[in-house]
Amino acid sequence: MLTVKNFKKKYHQHEVLKGIDMTIEKGDVVALLGPSGSGKTTFLRGLAFLTPGDSGNIIFDDQKIDIQSATANDIKQLRQKMGFVFQNFNLFANKTALQNVEEGLVIGHKIPKAEAKQIAQEALKKVGLLEFSDHFPSQLSGGQAQRVGIARAAALNPEIILLDEPTSALDPELVADVLQVIKQLADEGKTMIVVTHEMAFARDVADKVVFMDRGLVVEQNEPAEFFDHPKSPRLKEFLSRISAASVANNSFEYEKSSVN
Amino acid sequence: MNTTFLIHTFWLSISGIPLTILITGAALLLGLPLGFGLAWIKIRKIKVLYPLAVAYTSLIRATPMVLLILLFYSTLPSFLNVIINKHFHLGIKVFDINPVIYAIIVFALIAIANLSEVFRSAILTIDPGQKEAALMVGLSPTQIYRRIIIPQALVSAIPNIGNLTLNILKGTSLAFMMAVPEITAVAKTAASYTYNYTEAYIDIFVIYFILGAILQVIFKFLERYLGRHKLKRTA
Amino acid sequence: MPPFSFEFFLSVFGEILPYLPITLLIIILSIIFSSLLGSFLAAGGISRSLFWRTVTQSYVFVLRSTPPIVLLFLVFYGFPKLLLLFLNINVNGWQKSVFVVIALSLLFASNLAEVFKAAYLTVNTGQREAALMAGLSEWQAFYRITLPQTIVVALPNFANTVAALIKDAALAYVIGLVDMMGAGNNLIARNFGHHSLETYLALAVVYWVIFIIVEQGTKYLEKYLSKSRAVDTTQSGVTA
Repeated sequence: MLTVKNFKKKYHQHEVLKGIDMTIEKGDVVALLGPSGSGKTTFLRGLAFLTPGDSGNIIFDDQKIDIQSATANDIKQLRQKMGFVFQNFNLFANKTALQNVEEGLVIGHKIPKAEAKQIAQEALKKVGLLEFSDHFPSQLSGGQAQRVGIARAAALNPEIILLDEPTSALDPELVADVLQVIKQLADEGKTMIVVTHEMAFARDVADKVVFMDRGLVVEQNEPAEFFDHPKSPRLKEFLSRISAASVANNSFEYEKSSVN
Repeated sequence: MNTTFLIHTFWLSISGIPLTILITGAALLLGLPLGFGLAWIKIRKIKVLYPLAVAYTSLIRATPMVLLILLFYSTLPSFLNVIINKHFHLGIKVFDINPVIYAIIVFALIAIANLSEVFRSAILTIDPGQKEAALMVGLSPTQIYRRIIIPQALVSAIPNIGNLTLNILKGTSLAFMMAVPEITAVAKTAASYTYNYTEAYIDIFVIYFILGAILQVIFKFLERYLGRHKLKRTA
Repeated sequence: MPPFSFEFFLSVFGEILPYLPITLLIIILSIIFSSLLGSFLAAGGISRSLFWRTVTQSYVFVLRSTPPIVLLFLVFYGFPKLLLLFLNINVNGWQKSVFVVIALSLLFASNLAEVFKAAYLTVNTGQREAALMAGLSEWQAFYRITLPQTIVVALPNFANTVAALIKDAALAYVIGLVDMMGAGNNLIARNFGHHSLETYLALAVVYWVIFIIVEQGTKYLEKYLSKSRAVDTTQSGVTA
């Protein structure tokens, strides 16, 4: 469904992305891991042209984009197929939770107001926040705000949802709820790319785990192989730095919340 | 202390309040849209207009209000006269124009320059993430400005707009230099017959205190009303 | 209106610049006194005593609404009467500049009190506590740790306030003080009201230059002082 070829990006003299290739099939959940500064976020933002790449190709279904010569129209068309979940939520500060979800439906996608409201309420219900419809972002906790952020992206029914470290700005006790919502989307068969530091989540939910380091994809595999039999020395080192205990613990916490 | 004069002049000076409010209000009403336009030029760095906008803002903000008033009042009527009557032969008696009009123009010019800076910094402080999120849900650049950025910028600009309004209100106390019969002019004139200047200025001081207090309350209310999305979590 | 004479415009500078020192002296004295009074008011504003907080808040609230020219006249006409009445001091021989400095100091002390208070409150909490725990006394914590940081934080708003003070100091001529503005107005009077455009424009240019010097000087000072501040931002970045 989505193929990225030789994606490159430079900041000043520093080569952040040295040519990323990636293929994502419909229904795939891809977890993007790597140490900070490895270029994961830059890559994800580059896919949505929020910080456009320097060169490379993006092929999305039958739309082929050469990054260097992408027109505003190309970008608009591409973004219509994408939802984006931001690390720091970026909820519209002047709109309520419901209005945040409606905004894209009514204004961006020209869906009639009544119908949009229904879709938005449905989306909020799914993330368990229907009763917070009239709350402004400043009145929501981080975990709630991010769930609204996910509802906002998912309500537009995009072909793929890009999630940029969706839980890293959250207090630890709020992470589980948000991961639960993402898992739910995965179970529904949504195609997603998730940049994350949550190893247990990547292991449980992802169909494919990609390890990036220093601007390159170093290793990618299905989760069990990826975590249990890492091949490249850099991935081995990366995994060894994350203690097994914390992985187990995290996993437990987030399964537990699914029971509640 | 002449208490009779104090009280008498107080009631007399109150008759100057409508003019003070008219000048302040009109300057603000002209200043808001034009100041926004000027801010737009500076943010977008629009060709040719940008350096002019920057120079205008800097000059107005650097020049003492009293000097601006003297400068405009001593030259604007003659200047308008040359343009209107010598070039276009419209036959308008420029020198008979109510000085209140000139006062409004001068204070509007001041308001425009200052409001443009208020708007510019308010728009620039909006988190770029707001724009990114709006782009990703399919809003066009114009829609993003109209629906997301400007409403938020307006709220964060309210306290500064309030300060500016207060400064213009205080500045109108200089309008007596343009022969505008506002509060200060009325009280000064009354004092000049009997030389009770201290009493007259106490009156003006009190009236401005009351007007300023009301203005501060109004803007506090506006800030709270427009900024209700900024309410802190009660839960 | 006679046509604009560039020659006259240039000659105005020769007439007004000799009075620049008076203008500057008034400005500098007012900055010093308003900073002192403003510091006291700021201290009152953050004191634990409800009395002092109320006093300073009322002072700031009242002075916020007071037009500079009104305060200037009030000080000029009312202050001598007050002193004569209560202390039996005759100040009729005092120079007019004294009244200007008093009025400006009273007025801008209220603005500066707000600036200082806000700056102190942004720095205070963690820094003071850390200093106390490191064994510094309350006073040492203040003048070694909190104060230097407060100054850096306050600088931009302090500069804005100074710019406003410089502009309001131009009102001094209305009580008959011959500073730069006074000299300019005298010049116009000598020319029977002619050449006001050239004269006022020349004055505006001088104020513009002063404004730019203050603006650029602040920027430079900020850059210079913020070296020590960079350490703080990284520290707070870790906790965030």
